[in-house]
Amino acid sequence: MKFHIVKRDNCPLWKKCCLYLAAVVIALLLGGALLIALGVDPVAYYTRMFTMGTIGNKIAYKVWINYLKELVPLALVSVALSLAFRMRFWNIGGEGQFILGAIAAAFVAFKTGAGLPNALTLILMCLAAMLTAGIYGLFVAALKVKFGTNETLMTLMLNYVALYVLMFLGETKADWNFFLDAGSARPVFASFTELASFPGIPMGGKFSLNICVILTLVIGILVFVYLKYTKQGYEIAVVGDSAGTARYAGMKVNRIVLRTVFLSAALIGLAAAFKVGTAGILSTSITDDVGWTGIIVAWLSQLNTGVIFVVSALICVLHYGSTVAAATFSQVDSSFANMLQGVILFLVLAADFYTRFKIVPVKKGGK
Amino acid sequence: MAQEYAIELKGITKTFGSVVANNNIDLNVRPGEILALLGENGSGKTTLMNMLSGIYKPDRGQIFVDGKEVTIDSPEDSKRLGIGMVHQHFKLVDVFSAADNIWMGREKSGMLLKKERYAEIEEMAKKFGFDIDPKKKVYNMAVSEKQTLEIIKVLYYGAKVIILDEPTAVLTVQEINKLFQILRRMKEEGHSIIIITHKLNEVMEISDRVAILRKGEYITTVNTSQTNEQALTEWMVGHKVDLNIQRAPMYKTRPLLEVRDVTIRSDEGAVAIDNVSFYIRGGEILGVAGIAGCGQKELCEAIAGLRPIEKGEMIHKGENIVGLPPRAILEKGISMSFIPEDRLGMGLAPSMSITDNMILKKYANSRGPFVDRKTGRKDAEQVIRDLGVVTPSTETPVRRLSGGNVQKVLLGREIKAGPNVIITAYPVRGLDINSSYAIYNILNDQKQDGVGILFVGEDLDVMIDLCDKILVLCHGKVMGVVHAHKTTKEELGLMMTGALDLTHKYEDKPAGFARDSRFCTENRKEEA
Repeated sequence: MKFHIVKRDNCPLWKKCCLYLAAVVIALLLGGALLIALGVDPVAYYTRMFTMGTIGNKIAYKVWINYLKELVPLALVSVALSLAFRMRFWNIGGEGQFILGAIAAAFVAFKTGAGLPNALTLILMCLAAMLTAGIYGLFVAALKVKFGTNETLMTLMLNYVALYVLMFLGETKADWNFFLDAGSARPVFASFTELASFPGIPMGGKFSLNICVILTLVIGILVFVYLKYTKQGYEIAVVGDSAGTARYAGMKVNRIVLRTVFLSAALIGLAAAFKVGTAGILSTSITDDVGWTGIIVAWLSQLNTGVIFVVSALICVLHYGSTVAAATFSQVDSSFANMLQGVILFLVLAADFYTRFKIVPVKKGGK
Repeated sequence: MAQEYAIELKGITKTFGSVVANNNIDLNVRPGEILALLGENGSGKTTLMNMLSGIYKPDRGQIFVDGKEVTIDSPEDSKRLGIGMVHQHFKLVDVFSAADNIWMGREKSGMLLKKERYAEIEEMAKKFGFDIDPKKKVYNMAVSEKQTLEIIKVLYYGAKVIILDEPTAVLTVQEINKLFQILRRMKEEGHSIIIITHKLNEVMEISDRVAILRKGEYITTVNTSQTNEQALTEWMVGHKVDLNIQRAPMYKTRPLLEVRDVTIRSDEGAVAIDNVSFYIRGGEILGVAGIAGCGQKELCEAIAGLRPIEKGEMIHKGENIVGLPPRAILEKGISMSFIPEDRLGMGLAPSMSITDNMILKKYANSRGPFVDRKTGRKDAEQVIRDLGVVTPSTETPVRRLSGGNVQKVLLGREIKAGPNVIITAYPVRGLDINSSYAIYNILNDQKQDGVGILFVGEDLDVMIDLCDKILVLCHGKVMGVVHAHKTTKEELGLMMTGALDLTHKYEDKPAGFARDSRFCTENRKEEA
């Protein structure tokens, strides 16, 4: 019997959901098989992972606080990337923009944190991070607009430039380098928790909700409205769909590209400010790979702002949960989450294929 | 015993999703005959032929070659069975020579290029009576040469059955005659030819039999000598159609848009429009004829402000518009709609809804930071109703609509904006007869409302019937402006190839200069 591929016209929503769900389930089954091969009970492992160790834990509130600390940058970076992706501008420079934003925020914290009130310092940190990251993105957009360079390559390469700048700061022990701890003989980053830190809102009990979570949600809603209802959002959609048409409609395409990329990069910078403002210290792994994971989240959500929040919440469960589970199951490294994430992405893309095509047997014979 | 049919198809069915492209189709071709496959766009002609050439596989049905049942799984299978197809969009490597393009697909050519291949292919071309230089690179070839090369290619592979998909669409009248001579010679040598077309006069001229498809269904096969154009149209469309375009009477007004001595460069930097002058009056349709790629696109883009004008002037109602940004030109009431080959490239955002496409040119006019979709939706509803656009809703992405409906949406939006000059290029490209006539009617209505229309077209018959005057371009130069009711297809064809230059027909007035021009007199003195 022979099969061939046929295009589907329309896939109902429930079918899509089922397909994506099936993809995730199959990914978990594959992960389970691997766990069995390692001699780990998959049910026990997955339970531990998905509850992130909150069950039967007296300090579960701490888990939630740490979880949200991971979630905020990831969600915000994904939202920011979706802005550029909507316009088919492949900004894969989230890492670099994040790092520069983090350095700028830390710079402000060290320089002004002592003299100014906490709130003002924090606002200045956010603005500095947004401006720095935004300009880093704008640079690539300007090159693309002016000379037609490939933004994928440019943003990718600039990631490493930013990373090496950060490493240089982290390893150069010198008098001018106020980023490092003066008290330590070895080069280690200095903490500025006392100088500036994002406050939490007490929610009863010991759990307090960091203000960044609320800000991120608000920005998410604003971006949703921006993309869907404003003229600028409309312009982004038209440019992304067909730049020729946009020009024909009298849009200033270059200006729209510059504006949108700046906004996208600036929001990534803001995510970095949130991150360092809560961590209170720089580190060479400050990004936590959000620049990369954000790309995956944005695509898994098909650039839909609402879905981005759901997907990034789930991905964070995966990451954070696997770290927690690694403490109990010493055979399984926390990078198991990365593997699982890869398998999920792969299978979701496969499911995506099935939402657009179906495989049917070739019927033989005449009438 | 010799088989009656070179190719026979029985009960072929092919579906794409829920769309039935071909339903239970029977077709046969005798050795040494020319079969015309006639049908409107979307009737499944190309799909059917693609199954013979191995690009698609049928869902159901049988294919017989010389009486034996075969399965065609790939283009290689099709080649082996002696079936060759010349596609509408040529499949040639631009940087290769003619010989290398032919040689490339040869199975036993080995790893090394041999010198004799030029001689071998030249000899082959001579045998069939083709005139082609095997060393010429494809990018230096004219469209008709490329087509000849494609035909030589399929003959070289030993094809007995040759399928031509709309071969005449890109050719001038003279080139079509030459092609038909070649086809007749091939037929005499025993080749079977299937020619896909929707031009009735060509069907009558070249074919022995005609097979007609309608909306994926097989209608009938008739002997050409026993039928006529009217009967074929009725089979093709399914009901009676009036084949005459009414040229609406013209109410002459002063020139609306005057273009004088304009030179425009193409993307590659070559001169695309060379010192061109013409003018459009309100209430007239000026046709622009020319072989594809003669600067039509560049001209349209330049008028709309999308392409810089190197030299020359353009005045609209006496005001200079050279150098204005696209939006300013739009606001003056000059509307441009260009239907490119892929039909969606310019003028529409394909993934966006009809509503979103309706507001494309005026989204910025509403107050505040938000897009006004309410009026957009109302406009969409009205265009859908007025022009009979077939769509599930106003929120359907334009990409999902069929070609005719896409073009109606585009033209509907342009007319809705109330322009005084309409530049429209290939508005009926790829449309079936019914939709085409709907579009001609829209244009005629606009003309009677006093709108000046520049109609860049392909089909000379239509242009002669619809336009008031026709401007002929050849390699970016004006070959003359003729009155549509006084000219002939042959004359236009000669002008299109550059063989006839009528620019100095009237000694007192250069072609393309209006007697009552709005250019001020000083300008005219300078130019004189």
